[in-house]
Amino acid sequence: MKCPRCVQRIHRAAASCPHCGFTLADADARFGHEEVRIRCLTDSAGIFRRGDRERVQAAMDAITRHFPQIFVAIYTGSLGEISNIRQFGFWLLNRSAFEDVPVTKPNAAGILITIDPESKAAGMVFGYLLDPFLEEADTFDCLSRAHAYWLEGDYAGGLLKSLALLGVILRKRSRHARRDPEYFERKVLPPAQMVDLVRRIRAGHRQVLAKEQSEEVKL
Amino acid sequence: MCLRGMEEPGLPKWNANEKKELELAGWIAGGLLLTDDPVPDDPKPASTVTLKVEQPTAEEVAQDAEHSPEIPEKFLPAYFAERPKTFLVDPQGLLSPANFRDRLSFLNYHASDSSIDLFVYVIGKDQEIPSEVREEEMIERFFSQGRPAVIVYYYLGSPQRSVVYLSPSLTDVVSAAEQRRALASSVVQAFEKLNPAEQLEAFLVQMSIRVYWMERMIGGAASAVEVAPVPGAVANAEEKTLAKNQKIEWARAIAIKYVMPAGATLTLLFVCLFINFWLKRGARYVFPDFDVEPRLGGAHAAGVGAVISFASAALPPASQRDQVPDYLRRA
Repeated sequence: MKCPRCVQRIHRAAASCPHCGFTLADADARFGHEEVRIRCLTDSAGIFRRGDRERVQAAMDAITRHFPQIFVAIYTGSLGEISNIRQFGFWLLNRSAFEDVPVTKPNAAGILITIDPESKAAGMVFGYLLDPFLEEADTFDCLSRAHAYWLEGDYAGGLLKSLALLGVILRKRSRHARRDPEYFERKVLPPAQMVDLVRRIRAGHRQVLAKEQSEEVKL
Repeated sequence: MCLRGMEEPGLPKWNANEKKELELAGWIAGGLLLTDDPVPDDPKPASTVTLKVEQPTAEEVAQDAEHSPEIPEKFLPAYFAERPKTFLVDPQGLLSPANFRDRLSFLNYHASDSSIDLFVYVIGKDQEIPSEVREEEMIERFFSQGRPAVIVYYYLGSPQRSVVYLSPSLTDVVSAAEQRRALASSVVQAFEKLNPAEQLEAFLVQMSIRVYWMERMIGGAASAVEVAPVPGAVANAEEKTLAKNQKIEWARAIAIKYVMPAGATLTLLFVCLFINFWLKRGARYVFPDFDVEPRLGGAHAAGVGAVISFASAALPPASQRDQVPDYLRRA
């Protein structure tokens, strides 16, 4: 995983970016501290043509139907001066309250696609629920699938392609997780602490000593 | 030398003894001519003979008028009551059994080889078809159904009197001129023979040839108009039906052996695909919920995914895959 500001790799439990010190507070300072109430499909930039909204909403609903734990949100807007779409996506998924998502589904179960038609950039962020299952490369593949459509200005067509691939990837990962959950669990385990290592070594020594003593008693 | 004025020599005269000797011998050359005696056994001139011939009575004249050359009434049902069961109709037995058999065999052969049947009614040389029999009406009634047919009224020993009719299905496609030509050529062929039976044979052979040309002329029309074979008349029709049935049986066997299993397999495949599609459509996928430690102060998310630029086609996604800080990029 990478820092939204410096795009450097950070470890799993970094409270702040070890390279640039970035936290959500920095994003709050840039985009605001208040909670943002939006719908899952928010077309602030007005890029969808007649009928596009329904098609995109249907694709989003299909993903929600197949993956009951998660939801997909799409936000289009012109970021203007604050044009760091990576930081904006990170901030929006943490600060938004989606009106049409049940309260039982936290934002951690969300996948947010942000499109800025002015700067011609799009980004995809996802919550902690999908942290073990999705990687940056997966999101890049999804966005790449839409690239040709977005070049032509067909935002809805690109989103449909992107969501279709996202569904495929999620299905694959879900099956894999059912077969081998440990594989994904290992990816989110907290990093081993030095104290734990010492305890493990001492415990091993104790077991060896106990065995030797028991053998001496027998003799 | 001039002979005029000379006296003609005198005629020879019989020596009475020589004449008596010759008469005794029985014959005198030129004796019949050179005599005034009447010719022996010479009939007397009619004018001189008075014959007494009885004139026919009025009853006898009436009887002659009643004795017409029409087909006897007892044979009429056999001729005209129904569609003939065989191709050769001779209820009067005008043909000898051997000839009848041979001609019928030929007509059967013709029927097996041609799509147009040839029916022949054999009538006496001087006989007439009764006026109450309307041939066209009869033809229309009996030959409207079944295979197309050429019907010939053949007068045995008098081929030139023969008449040809076509079944209604053929009248529209075969011209009257063609019918006349067929009849004329058949009659010509018949007249090359002296024997009436041989005439009939030659007539039928030629007519069969002309029917073949009619069939060629109308193309597939004859086969198209045929509806059902005459029962019992066409021996080969059953063979054709049998062959057709065998083909159907063969096709059925092939279908049972190959087509049905293939169809069943395809159907099963489609059913499986449909079930698979249906299951996938209604499938629900669940992810195990692991505890993830929050990062960067984000309560819900810190998994920053990719960002892509679609500002220019010259900047394809492949060149954007490695997303690194700007200061790490090469100048």
